[in-house]
Formats: sequence, structure tokens, C-alpha cells
Amino acid sequence: MNRRRPAHIIRPALSVVFLVTLLTTVAWAQKSVSRHYPAGKNVRLELKNLSGTITVETWNRDEIKITALMETPTVHFNPRQTDTGLVIDIVGDNRGRGDVGDVNFKVQLPARSSVDLETRRGQINVSNVQGDLVRAHVWTSGDIQLYGINATRVFASNSTGDVFFDGDFASGGTYEFKSGQGTITLQLPVNCGFRLVATAPAQKISMGKFWSPNMKTVGEGRRVIGDVGDGRASVTVTTYQGNINFVRR
Amino acid sequence: MNCEKYQDLLSDLTDGSLTPRECEEIEAHLSACGDCADARADLHALVEYCREHRGEYDAVPNERAMWLRISNTIEAEFAGNKPAAVPAGAGWWFRLMNRSWQLTFPQFATSIAATIVVAVLLTFAGMRIFTGNGNGTKTGGITLASEVSTVRDRYRQQQQLIDYWNQRVELNKARWSPEMRETFERNLTVIDTAVNDSMGRLNQNPHDEVSEDILNAALSDKLALLKEFADL
Repeated sequence: MNRRRPAHIIRPALSVVFLVTLLTTVAWAQKSVSRHYPAGKNVRLELKNLSGTITVETWNRDEIKITALMETPTVHFNPRQTDTGLVIDIVGDNRGRGDVGDVNFKVQLPARSSVDLETRRGQINVSNVQGDLVRAHVWTSGDIQLYGINATRVFASNSTGDVFFDGDFASGGTYEFKSGQGTITLQLPVNCGFRLVATAPAQKISMGKFWSPNMKTVGEGRRVIGDVGDGRASVTVTTYQGNINFVRR
Repeated sequence: MNCEKYQDLLSDLTDGSLTPRECEEIEAHLSACGDCADARADLHALVEYCREHRGEYDAVPNERAMWLRISNTIEAEFAGNKPAAVPAGAGWWFRLMNRSWQLTFPQFATSIAATIVVAVLLTFAGMRIFTGNGNGTKTGGITLASEVSTVRDRYRQQQQLIDYWNQRVELNKARWSPEMRETFERNLTVIDTAVNDSMGRLNQNPHDEVSEDILNAALSDKLALLKEFADL
């Protein structure tokens, strides 16, 4: 009995040492970069990522804070300030360098900003942006979640993954949502007015409380066209294989 | 890329104005294609000859005198060809037919441009009249002809572009990570399914507006995806 006791102690101890070593190695392999840039009220952020999550939030400061968590420390990351704002092009900066792994971005900027976000793969989250433009494009797989958006132009598209929009449509604004396989959900206030063209070949378009007598279905229910309220915003929703849902806030 | 396109790029290759990746691609082709390698050798020899003999060409002894001689010769020929004077009582047809039509280069270019503009406008107007301005359907910002043959033609044209970009993607795919390859393939399948479904529906109902729109959108998406990933 006494001779076996040390083995009982050593095994868990070795496991703990192994785990700590592994976690430390992973932490060292990753690299986090944080940068601040001065910005006016109406700034434009352009971000083109290869792979990874992009999260954009607003705050009450006239500056942009970018935090990039890189899976591999060798990723080239060179944000450029322009007359109108900030450009981050991970694709261009790392062209010809093969797979550079995920880069997860967290961006904080003024609420009146415009954001133009693009990634080959990964999720895009944007919340409370009130500027002119919100564009979120995932070339392949990744959900898009837009919360509290009040922009004149919104474009959200992916190939595989869901698209969720919570916000309001401005009069005269343009709004386009597109997905290959995912479900598109639009959560809108009751008094929202827009002219809609919604297309889902799977025949799964749920207008909920937004159905109005001014609307009609076309192509055996694969398309819904018509006006909701004053109909002054233009809204186009398309999914090849998924569903379209309209939900009241 | 075919041999003709590679040979078009040989001049740029010799000048050193291509990117390293393009150079690699052309060199790989040249090592496998005898004709293109010969063409490169010829071009190289020509460029080398010109470089070696730069500044050895004889200048014209008296350039101004030569241009005066040419000018005099042209004027003499012009005087000989001058039309006869128009009789005082000649009609408008006689005057028109005996008029000398001489145009400067800008006048000539302007008249050609005007002719082209008129022809294009007439063709466009004719097409609108011919199609009755009602057979084309504008949906989703894209004007679509409702004839199936037109849809198929457009599909074929788009497919050629897709094939081209697909080849470029295949060249680079080996460099991608397994996850990226898998993601790309999966998403391409989603788009292909949409294309095939739309084509199937259009075969059943050639005037299905929704399927036409989906087909156009899916083909555009596929092309855009391939272009984006061709550079990866």
C-alpha cells in the first residue's frame, strides 16, 4: 500500500503540469495586438479579414480601438488611416503567405460610424451602429448578427450560416440580406415601413405580423412582394435554401 | 490559360513587369510547351539584338528636305486630280457628285464616331420595337429575357467564365489549409445546388421569373466566390 501511494500522487501532478504547459504554449503561440486611432463622429471602418470572428461595438469616445487576437504571431497586420477613416486589409497584407490562421477582431468605435466588414470565413457581429453604411459579407461560412442597427444602407450576406438583423429601416434607405443556406431573421419595430422583395425557393417566408393586404406571393409562394406601412425603404431578402422570418420587436 | 495567352505575356515576362507568381506560372508552362518556349527564344533573340545595336542606325541626312520633297509630290498629285470646274447651271445632284470630299483626321474620326453612335441608337431602337418592350422582365435589378434560349446562352457564357476561374482556383487550392478547402467546397456545393434547382425548374417552366432570378444570382455568387478565392 505504502509503495503505491506515490504513483497516485505523481500521475495527477504530471497531468496538471502537462495541461498547464499545453495551455501556456497555446497562449504564447497566439498574439494579441491593441491599437487606438483618433476618429471624428462620422468615421468609416473598412475591414477585410481572412478567417476569424469580427465583433464591432460602439462607445462614447471619438476614437477607434482595434483589438486583434491572432492565432499565429506572424500575421501581417497594418491598419492604414485614410481621409475618411481606417482600413484594415488582412487579405492584402498577407497575400501569397498561405494560411495565416484566424484573426479575431474586436472593434470599438463611435456610434455614427460606417462599417464595411468582410471575411472569407467566420462570424460577424455588429451592434448599435447608427452611421450611413453597415456592410457585413462572409464569403463562405459564418453567422451574421446585427443588433440595434439604424443605418441608411445595410448589406448582409453569407453562403452558409444565419443572418439576424435587429434594427429599424430609414425612410429612403436600402437594405439587402442574402444567404445561401441559412435562415434570415429580421426583427423590426411595429411601425416599420418598407417595400419588400423576399425570395426563398424553399417556400418558407414567414411575414408574421408584417403581412399586409398590399402584399402578394409570386411563384407558388417562393417570393413575397409588396409594401409594409409607408413602403419608403427598399428591402430585398434572398435565401437559396433557407427560411425568411419577420419578427416584431 | 492557353498558348495564345501565354505568348501574349512573353513580352511582359522579358521586360520583367510580371509578378513572381505569374512568372512561375509561365515558366512552368514554357518547360512543358515547345512552341511557347521557341516563341520566347525568338523574342529574347530579337530584344537582345536591339539592345546590342542600340544607336547604330543611320539618321536621315537632311530630314527637312526629305519632308519637303514628299509634300511637293503630294501637292503635285493633288493638283493633277483636281475635278473639273462645275458649270454655272449645274443641278444639285451634279454638284454633290462632283464635290471633293476631303477630311482632316479629326473630321474623319468624328464622322466615324457619329456613324457608330447613330448605328447603335438605331439598333437599340429597333430591338425595343422588335421585342415589343414587354418580353424582357426586369427583376432584382437584372434585365432578363424570358426566352429559355437566352437564359441558356447566358448560362453558357457565365459557365465559360466560371471554368476559367475554377482552373485558377484549382492551381492554388493545394496551398490552402484543409479547413479552408472543406469550407470552400461545402459553400460551392450550396451555390451549385441553387443553380441546378433553378435550371431544373426552368426546364419545366421556361418563364419562371423567380428561378431566373435565383439562377442569375447564384451564377454571379459562384463567379464572385471563385474570383475571390483564386487569389488566396
